[in-house]
Amino acid sequence: MRVVTTDVAVIGGGAAGCYAALSLSKRGIKPLIICKGLVGKSGASLFAGNLVISGRALGNSEDNARNTAEFLIKYHNQFLIDQNWARRCGQWIEQVYYPELEEAGLYFRRDDSGEIVTSPGKIRSIAANVQGNSGVPFMDLRRKQVIKAGIARMEETVATSLLQNPDGSVAGVFCLNYITGEYTAVIARAVILATGYSDRLHTRSTGTREMSADGIALAWRAGATLLNMEMQWWHTNDLAHPPSWQRMQIYPNPMLGSEKSARMLNSAGEEFFNQQQDDPLAFGPYTVQLKALVKQVRAGKARYEGGYFAGFDNCDPAEVETYTTYGKTFRQLGLPFPAHMAETAVSSHYRQGGIDVDTATMRSSVPGLYAAGGVGGHSNGLIGLATYDGHVAAEGVARDLATLKQASVPQTLIEAECRRLESLRNSYGNGPAPGRLKEDLRAVMWEKAGVEKNASDLRSALDDIERIRVELMPGMKIRNSGKSANYEWLDAIDVMNMIDVCELVIHSSLERKESRGPFIRTDFPLTDNDNWLAANVLTKSGNGLRFERRPYELPIFAPGFSTKDNLEVAW
Amino acid sequence: MIAPGDDPLPALSPVDGRRIGQAELHDTLAARNLRLTPGDLLTVKVRRSEVPSGSEAYQEFQVPYQKWMRLLDALNWIADNAAADLAFRWFCGSKMCGTCAVRMNGREVLACWEAVEPNMVIEPLRNLPVIRDLVVDRTAYEDRVASLEPWIERREPYAEFPEPLTHKQMKDASNALDCISCMCCYSACPVIGLGNLTDFAGPAPLVQLGQTALDPRNDPEKVRRSLERTGIFNCVSCYKCEEVCPAHIPIVSRVIEPLKAKAAQLVPEMARHSFALRNIVAHRGRVDPGALVLSVQGLRALSNLRRIWRLFVRGKINPIKTLLGMKTDAAAAAGRLLGDETGKP
Repeated sequence: MRVVTTDVAVIGGGAAGCYAALSLSKRGIKPLIICKGLVGKSGASLFAGNLVISGRALGNSEDNARNTAEFLIKYHNQFLIDQNWARRCGQWIEQVYYPELEEAGLYFRRDDSGEIVTSPGKIRSIAANVQGNSGVPFMDLRRKQVIKAGIARMEETVATSLLQNPDGSVAGVFCLNYITGEYTAVIARAVILATGYSDRLHTRSTGTREMSADGIALAWRAGATLLNMEMQWWHTNDLAHPPSWQRMQIYPNPMLGSEKSARMLNSAGEEFFNQQQDDPLAFGPYTVQLKALVKQVRAGKARYEGGYFAGFDNCDPAEVETYTTYGKTFRQLGLPFPAHMAETAVSSHYRQGGIDVDTATMRSSVPGLYAAGGVGGHSNGLIGLATYDGHVAAEGVARDLATLKQASVPQTLIEAECRRLESLRNSYGNGPAPGRLKEDLRAVMWEKAGVEKNASDLRSALDDIERIRVELMPGMKIRNSGKSANYEWLDAIDVMNMIDVCELVIHSSLERKESRGPFIRTDFPLTDNDNWLAANVLTKSGNGLRFERRPYELPIFAPGFSTKDNLEVAW
Repeated sequence: MIAPGDDPLPALSPVDGRRIGQAELHDTLAARNLRLTPGDLLTVKVRRSEVPSGSEAYQEFQVPYQKWMRLLDALNWIADNAAADLAFRWFCGSKMCGTCAVRMNGREVLACWEAVEPNMVIEPLRNLPVIRDLVVDRTAYEDRVASLEPWIERREPYAEFPEPLTHKQMKDASNALDCISCMCCYSACPVIGLGNLTDFAGPAPLVQLGQTALDPRNDPEKVRRSLERTGIFNCVSCYKCEEVCPAHIPIVSRVIEPLKAKAAQLVPEMARHSFALRNIVAHRGRVDPGALVLSVQGLRALSNLRRIWRLFVRGKINPIKTLLGMKTDAAAAAGRLLGDETGKP
């Protein structure tokens, strides 16, 4: 086992983590990035389709600027957001983010005359090189900036636990490089968790392979306060087949250089969603689509697993393919494009909720522990917001650094963690493989904590999870106990995090007794702003959990009604 | 509109040079898939690192076909149902992270992107050490890319957003920006396969470099420093890289050739062989191997008399013609086409 000392351990190599590390490094503070995948090549940041224009940048009108802010607060976050943070974030994106990216070489797509190509409409966006693939050059640039800055990286390395001082403050991270099998104890004065928005906790999920809610689980075990864990976003138009393309989306957003966008049909071939006609203010119309789909499902004209269709048959192929990658999926399947409408299904997408942070510093409730990007509970995502968080977290850490002391190695904790991981690697039970248990958990979440929820299903899901925990997990079986590239071992580590977080999501879902945006309770169908325009705050108490409600301030936008049927609320 | 739910006959992709062979055989992904119906058993032979002693290094699995199945789905099915310890790398499952590349029936593919076939042999990428099963060590590649410093250095300070730039200026760089570092081309490249015999950086590192070296905003001095480390003229333009690129990047024609042109301009000594060849053809109307070797290697070329004798006996070189600088009938035309440049920069 190695012991590595650094100023700040950054867990996560996406937009938030990379930017936090780069900002720290610029200030002369030494970061170390611990990434479960490859920096800039794993996680959700890669999936950024385009970049929303903030404020008055690139010829945005006053209306455009206001629409963008309204969209973020209403459609993206259903008012469960710190609006003052959103305002600061918008200003930073306008003034710092675009110029910095371009200066570093990011190519914002131009036409031949040199104009940056935008999507038209109430909210405008631009693309890095090509729409649908903006995250790839964006994150590739971040990867290279990290390399250029000489920032240390530990890749394909999973953080397995936070190391804490006796007073509870965070002293570092324990990790495993699952390619070499080597353990490392990283001793740091501060830890920034930047593990992302999405996790694979449902049978169908946009979360990538490595995303098993590690950040939430680690923070929770360290005693961090969480919030809004029930607020789960859904994609309604990811391909129904094959399973590995469950995160391959037929983008519903406005297209660069076109007045049109994709449309959705039910099983009878009737159009039930088209962003440009149905709700032009819903730039990322995922919640609006979801509500439209729920109505189709209830009418027997679609299923959450498929039986409805999405595509671009209302568009010219050139219109779609000049600036976007949206045709590639169809073409790869040999389907006529754009005539073919592909069968689509629901996948769980971002989680709005996460770790409770002070949005001015990104401090969590645990001293020495910070959160940036999607793992935080303060907003829901766009790659610009995640980047801004990286900036704020770096500032927060820099401000606090004088008070954060380098602790000595908590030896007993390290030994205990080694023993735990070794016993997982040597799981010789007669039960299922850890990978199988992950699928079992996802199935429970999909069937009983899916799009439409109710108390009895949620309670039954808790029973199922308890059974997996008590009856199946102790008998877990690993076929090969080798140390190198042992993905079964990694699955065994993952499943421990997943099961804890699934439980927290279900408890939180039971607690919020209303429906709001993508959170749909059939037993509480109303959006209830009188009682639930509030964070659903979750803290550990003894061996259990405690909930409390924390109302949001509404300095800029307010919903303007008390209660209403959620399916009739636009956002 | 095509009725939802119908799986129409596959539209054959228009024949393009990079897909010759596949198109002729109607070997499109859709055509391969349509031969299969859900439940049909695929035979998948996977190269394993650890197998019971005495058995061959390939383990065979029967995998039921699922609609629109990708190779990654087959590997996941195997891990879920038959060999939980099968090691293979992937993250995004949708052609963005570029980490799931393997060889399928001898050809480099992205597992998440490629349709399954009824019979498949799956092996790890070549030209990189295998860690376990299908997982290769990316370090050598990553180090090579980093050594080329593939980023922008500006001669003039950046003024303001947005800066003046057109897509026309960015066209070649834009092609290169589709690269997802999957290393399919790195595995397929025969020059990389020669190991340390050349200092060739390889197609993927060159595409990574091309993203910024072909960007007009980059300082030519910076580009020159990077190009010096590429060994780019070892590329034999065999187009293997283009053939396998899942992102359809015209690697040779739109990245390596423009980079070679830049290298010839910025680091002319790297291009001695190319200049000499051009010069000889322009003046003589033919390739004269003797003259080519002499002008690139100088008198060193005369040090191996046995080789010279062998080449002479086989008619590969003709010292008389070389010394007399004899021209063929095509010399005038070649001179016209290639101009009257001396070949010396």
